[in-house]
Amino acid sequence: MNEIKLIIADDHQLFRNGLEELLRKYDDIKIVKSVADGFEFMEFAKSHLEADIVLLDITMPNKDGFEVLKELKTLNSNIKPIVISMHNDGNYIAKCAKMGAYGYLLKNTDESELILAIRTVNKGKKYFSAEISEKMINFMSTQSISENVLSNKETEVLGLISKGLTTNEIAAKLFVSSRTIETHRANILKKLEVKNTAELIKKATEKNLI
Amino acid sequence: MSIKTLILIIINSLIALVIALLSFYSYKEFSNVLNDRILQQLNSIKTLKKNQIEHLIKSEWERFESTELYNHNIDSTVLMLSDSIKSINGIHDFTAFHIDKKTTIGFVSNSKKGLRIKVLDYNKIKKILFERTGMGNSGESYLVGKDFRLRSQSRFYPNKTPYIFSIKTENVAKAFKGINGKGVFKDYRGIDVYSVSGLIAIPNLNLVILSEIDVDEVTMPLKKLKERLVGITLAVFLLAVILSLFLTRIITNPIKNMQKSLRIMAEGDYNQTNEFIKNSDEIKEMFDALANLKASLQGAVKFSDDIGKMNLNTDYQLKSPNDLLGKSLLAMRDKLIEFRNNEENTRINSKRMLVNSLENERRRLSRELHDGVGPYLTSLKHYIENKVENKVENELKKTEMKKIVDDTISEIRLMSNALMPASIDDFGIGVTLTNFIESVKKSTAVTIEYEDLTLQDNSKITNHQAINLFRISQELINNSLKHSKAKNIRITLSEFDDFISLFYFDDGIGFDISTVKLGLGISNIKERVEICNGKITINATPGNTTFEIELPVEL
Repeated sequence: MNEIKLIIADDHQLFRNGLEELLRKYDDIKIVKSVADGFEFMEFAKSHLEADIVLLDITMPNKDGFEVLKELKTLNSNIKPIVISMHNDGNYIAKCAKMGAYGYLLKNTDESELILAIRTVNKGKKYFSAEISEKMINFMSTQSISENVLSNKETEVLGLISKGLTTNEIAAKLFVSSRTIETHRANILKKLEVKNTAELIKKATEKNLI
Repeated sequence: MSIKTLILIIINSLIALVIALLSFYSYKEFSNVLNDRILQQLNSIKTLKKNQIEHLIKSEWERFESTELYNHNIDSTVLMLSDSIKSINGIHDFTAFHIDKKTTIGFVSNSKKGLRIKVLDYNKIKKILFERTGMGNSGESYLVGKDFRLRSQSRFYPNKTPYIFSIKTENVAKAFKGINGKGVFKDYRGIDVYSVSGLIAIPNLNLVILSEIDVDEVTMPLKKLKERLVGITLAVFLLAVILSLFLTRIITNPIKNMQKSLRIMAEGDYNQTNEFIKNSDEIKEMFDALANLKASLQGAVKFSDDIGKMNLNTDYQLKSPNDLLGKSLLAMRDKLIEFRNNEENTRINSKRMLVNSLENERRRLSRELHDGVGPYLTSLKHYIENKVENKVENELKKTEMKKIVDDTISEIRLMSNALMPASIDDFGIGVTLTNFIESVKKSTAVTIEYEDLTLQDNSKITNHQAINLFRISQELINNSLKHSKAKNIRITLSEFDDFISLFYFDDGIGFDISTVKLGLGISNIKERVEICNGKITINATPGNTTFEIELPVEL
């Protein structure tokens, strides 16, 4: 049976020791290296020594977890990162997932879940617990990422303009300041390459934007 | 010396001089004319009488010659004629030969028939001489002989023999030389008279006729004229004094008023509104100029008053390119503006530094808790798992202990987030607010909608702005939840190329902006907007409370 070669990257000696001791109980997991910061870890990663998984902290001196994730991706390394962090906000989780993390664990995760995560990731799968996944999805749902030419807000403003509402009316309706609507309107005109409202309505109709 | 006295002296001395000169000149002229007229008149009277006498004597002579009558009608006891005179034919003055020196004019004719002598009747001559038409009261005509003694009766001394009176004036002497004399002389009485003289043109007779009139009588009207002139002079002078007094009042009153006005202004009071009588164009203009001066000074005073109250936006129009007061006031205002701006900058800077150090302290504490204490707690958990013996009876305690550690970690996370979310540094304000509002929503029934329109990856919002926007939002949400009784909160954070807009709305009861307690944190919010160089507009009507906060994008 193949051992899982594991690296721990965390700036807290005590935490690393605790983790090592905890994992030593498992025969299929072998800790090959323990480093205190991202820089030290990247030195190891570049040395082509074999490792399967890195338990990666985000907040570290010299080089933080995000940078490590980015560099691992460009290095095309085989080391699969599992982020283990104190942060439990969706944005951290989503960012790590986006940057190529195979898993996301909170530092106070139970032993059983930690082992499960390591074993799952070692099989090449990703591991995000139900709780973590929910946080991530919650966060991503608030992000208004629009693939269209116009942002969601701009589309909304455009719709109200086409209904003949004035800037002040639109501002009141959308709970923003008049200047914000003015700026949106100017941006819409710029993006659609038109000069006035009449042209704007015409072009918007042509493009099925309203 | 006051202007009044000066004007009085100048005007009156001028008038006095003019009157005196005029009076003197006219008096002189008048007296000359009078002289000429009198002498002319006397001359014509003299000529007339001279002609009459000559005519009388000649006609008597002719009659004497023609009568052949031998009449020796002279009283030889009275008239003792010398032989030499008897031998000369003609008309003679026999007065010197008369015993009583009575005036006697006689004719002598020596012919073959013998010597004839006749004495002319003196009364005939007297009649001519005493004809006093045009001679006034004191005029008289008389004859003077070669010996400068009178030959005709003086009308002033009718009982005295004329011969006793002697008159030896230049006038008479001239007449004897055949020149007509005239002028003012002393007569035989020793009184000044106008006198003209002429020689009776009869050979051998040697008589001079004089017509005279007293100077006193002639100059009587002249004296009256003099008196009248003096009277007129005095009257005119008096009038002039009165008029000039009046005139000086007209001139000096406005000057005095002006002086009074200027004195009040010199005391620093530019608001006096005394009305003055303006009785001429110049004085009106002078007062207009004073009013202008007052107006411009008032303008300057108002301007400096405004500056004094630190209303530094007031402007001041220079009255002219030479308006030094205005220029220095403007310079003062500009200095004050500069000073105030510096002070303002210093104030904002120190506030910014204060807030920054506070936030840095919070950040440090937050990190310490999160990244320092947190890992220790996780280590504690590891320790529990690793070191506590795996016995059945221990299992429950271990689980409980781990639960306590997990709860503590959660609490630490909350505290850390409350102090300063790490997201603000790692993800920016948009995401941090999302997280914050998500966590708030868990503990309240109020609907909170947040729209994050920041630019995700290339946001230009600085960390400093992010922290302040976060604190402002935190404060606003806290206020709404604590005080406003709002059901709905809407927050939009938009980022544009040139500005960042935070729009906050709730449908709560609102508040009075002017009396709002500091406890609501409005001043805190305003301060944070200020140190970010932003603008804030608050509208707090019941059911529609909005905060519009705009920050500039710092490049």
